[in-house]
Amino acid sequence: MSWKKVFAVIRREYLERVRTKAFWFATLLVPVFFLGYMAIQVAAMRKTSGERRIAVIDVTGRLATPLARDLAQNEEARRQKSGGTRGLHWILEPRPIVGDIERTKVGLQKEVLEKKIYGYLVLDPASIEKERVEYYSISVSEFVALSQLKDAVNRTILHQKIADRGLPASVGADLERTVDLKTWKVTTKGVTEEKGAGIIAALVFMVIMYMTFFMYGFQNLRGVIEEKTNRIVELVIASVRPTELMLGKIVGIGLVGLTQYTIWSLVAMNLSLPGIASMMAGGAAGAPTIPLSMIGYFLLFFLLGYFLYASVYTAIGAPFNTDQEAQQLSMIPSMLIVSGMAVYPAVMNNPNGPIAVAASLFPFTAPLIMYLRTAIAEPPVYQIGLCIVILILSTIGMAWLAGRIYRVGILMYGKKPTIPEILRWVRYRPGKVLQPAAPPAN
Amino acid sequence: MTTPAIELENVSKVFGRFPAVDSLSFRVPRGVVFGLLGPNGAGKTTTIRMIMNITAADSGEIHVLGTPMTRETQNRIGYLPEERGLYRKMNVLDHLLFLAAIKEVSREDARKRIADWAEKLELKPWLKKKVDELSKGMQQKVQFIATVIHDPEILILDEPFSGLDPINTAIIKEYLSEFRKQGKTIVFSTHVLEQAEKLCDEICLMARSKKILEGPLRDLKRRFSRNLLHISVDAKPEEIAALPGVASAQPVNGGYLVALAPGAAQREFLRRAIDRHDLTGFSAKEPELEEIYLDAVRAAGIEETRPIE
Repeated sequence: MSWKKVFAVIRREYLERVRTKAFWFATLLVPVFFLGYMAIQVAAMRKTSGERRIAVIDVTGRLATPLARDLAQNEEARRQKSGGTRGLHWILEPRPIVGDIERTKVGLQKEVLEKKIYGYLVLDPASIEKERVEYYSISVSEFVALSQLKDAVNRTILHQKIADRGLPASVGADLERTVDLKTWKVTTKGVTEEKGAGIIAALVFMVIMYMTFFMYGFQNLRGVIEEKTNRIVELVIASVRPTELMLGKIVGIGLVGLTQYTIWSLVAMNLSLPGIASMMAGGAAGAPTIPLSMIGYFLLFFLLGYFLYASVYTAIGAPFNTDQEAQQLSMIPSMLIVSGMAVYPAVMNNPNGPIAVAASLFPFTAPLIMYLRTAIAEPPVYQIGLCIVILILSTIGMAWLAGRIYRVGILMYGKKPTIPEILRWVRYRPGKVLQPAAPPAN
Repeated sequence: MTTPAIELENVSKVFGRFPAVDSLSFRVPRGVVFGLLGPNGAGKTTTIRMIMNITAADSGEIHVLGTPMTRETQNRIGYLPEERGLYRKMNVLDHLLFLAAIKEVSREDARKRIADWAEKLELKPWLKKKVDELSKGMQQKVQFIATVIHDPEILILDEPFSGLDPINTAIIKEYLSEFRKQGKTIVFSTHVLEQAEKLCDEICLMARSKKILEGPLRDLKRRFSRNLLHISVDAKPEEIAALPGVASAQPVNGGYLVALAPGAAQREFLRRAIDRHDLTGFSAKEPELEEIYLDAVRAAGIEETRPIE
């Protein structure tokens, strides 16, 4: 191994990539995209305002008025709490039953479609008995609005039941008060309050890791194919061993990824400073603190996963002449990366359960899942160690395999090789005939 | 005698069931221009790749500067592959610096040499341009500089003239003879025999993955001489045929191309010709490489109707 030569390759791969407009475009666009996404989320939360004019068919004849009162009271309470911002404004229109309920509903459906009302609610004692109240609307996906309505209906029915049993109204007010579950995360370093920000940060980091496995893994594939289509590879191989070239490329591209992370975290730190300041001034909850261990594990599992996937993508790129030819096989690492994302909800629900343990020891899902586990719970140290050992061993194995395919593949032009042919390259050793001319006699 | 620049001993390589190179042996002495000749598919590129240690030989031994190829000898060789290209998005200077760096040339030396070569080949205004923006001819100059940037002792060029425009062909020929004067060893492959004839000191002829012939070009010409004479004379064909030792005579412009029977003395023939006719000139005609090739292929019993594609 000539490190001078490897370094020359790393330098070229790194500088040529960092100098492109595409790199800066992606580097700057992702934070903009993230901020935009968050801004839209916040705006959407704040902007769940506007009028909700709904009709009420009150078969009981006793619920519509208290329901309207409850909604109005809560609206006022929310406005005061949020400092005057306007939230949803509910307007209830009691409607008489015309003919029978079904006919009335048909009439209201027409009004909904004509946009005269937003929706209608049916308060029918028969269905309330079955713990159901029907609500029809052009939009039934507004979680904030629907939960407000549901809570109000439940409270109203509760008060009604209490009044029916002759109990004082104060009992209702008392029963309305529920408790909140305040969560504390217990770690070996002590107990910290968990408000969800830590978990969100862990998930954001995992999504970033997931994206960069794709982006930078695939760049390895593209890079290998590019050298073949440019017909430069033979000139390089005359000076650099295939393993040196492969190592240089993988490290160079990986450094580009780390550079991008560094820029992103600098941007994030600068942007959150004013945010933190304003929060402190407002006296609200502090900014989520990201523990150093989270960043340490992130870098560790990013590097381990990146080297593993880069080797896979290199092996897949080497035999082919165009991106299109490689596309079919490049589905394999893509599916493996996605499978890590697919199991994460199960891991969230039970961070030390059997699925979580299995997924964090299977090399291709391990980087994402073990990282997530270290961020949300404390997995046993021996499992972290085992995971790292498994990742290192499988990366070495994969790099060995990739190296064997690479050596032969980079000089193969023309016909698209078949998978059995590629597998033969792996077994091929100089001195042995690639395909025996005759079966060995024995 | 010093160790040869390159030496192959019984080298073989099989791809699948197809033998690419079959027990090939030859030696390239230092300081000569050596031509590896043969039609397309003869095994020239495979041979060169095995010398460069890009492809491993299945059997046999290859020595470069006295030893099997090492990292150190690799840095003393300049290689121009047949499949040659460049990183299209890189600028020319960075590209050449990279190719020099992987030959372990220091950055300062590389800068100096690139500037020198750019001056000589009129490439200076293009150094800051991207490879993409260069014409094909300019890219060929860049590839040539890349081959010699580390001042190699041995140059190995695979079909160096294929695809070259006449100007670049002339430039490269000029520098090859310059390098030869400096004592460098030059090995190049070609399927164009006329080219080799003008440039080579020694050759190795290949066909169907086997060596057909090897040696200094001058010796080979003597060996394959067909006893041909060109005479300028005004005479009738039957008069020429009547001269001693004549096997056949072909009228050519202002004279005859006379083939003497094998073993017949040229001196005896000429004396009689001068006695009987007014000879205005004569010359011994050396066989052309193409003829040597065809003879050798025939002698080796290989069916090969056309040496040149």
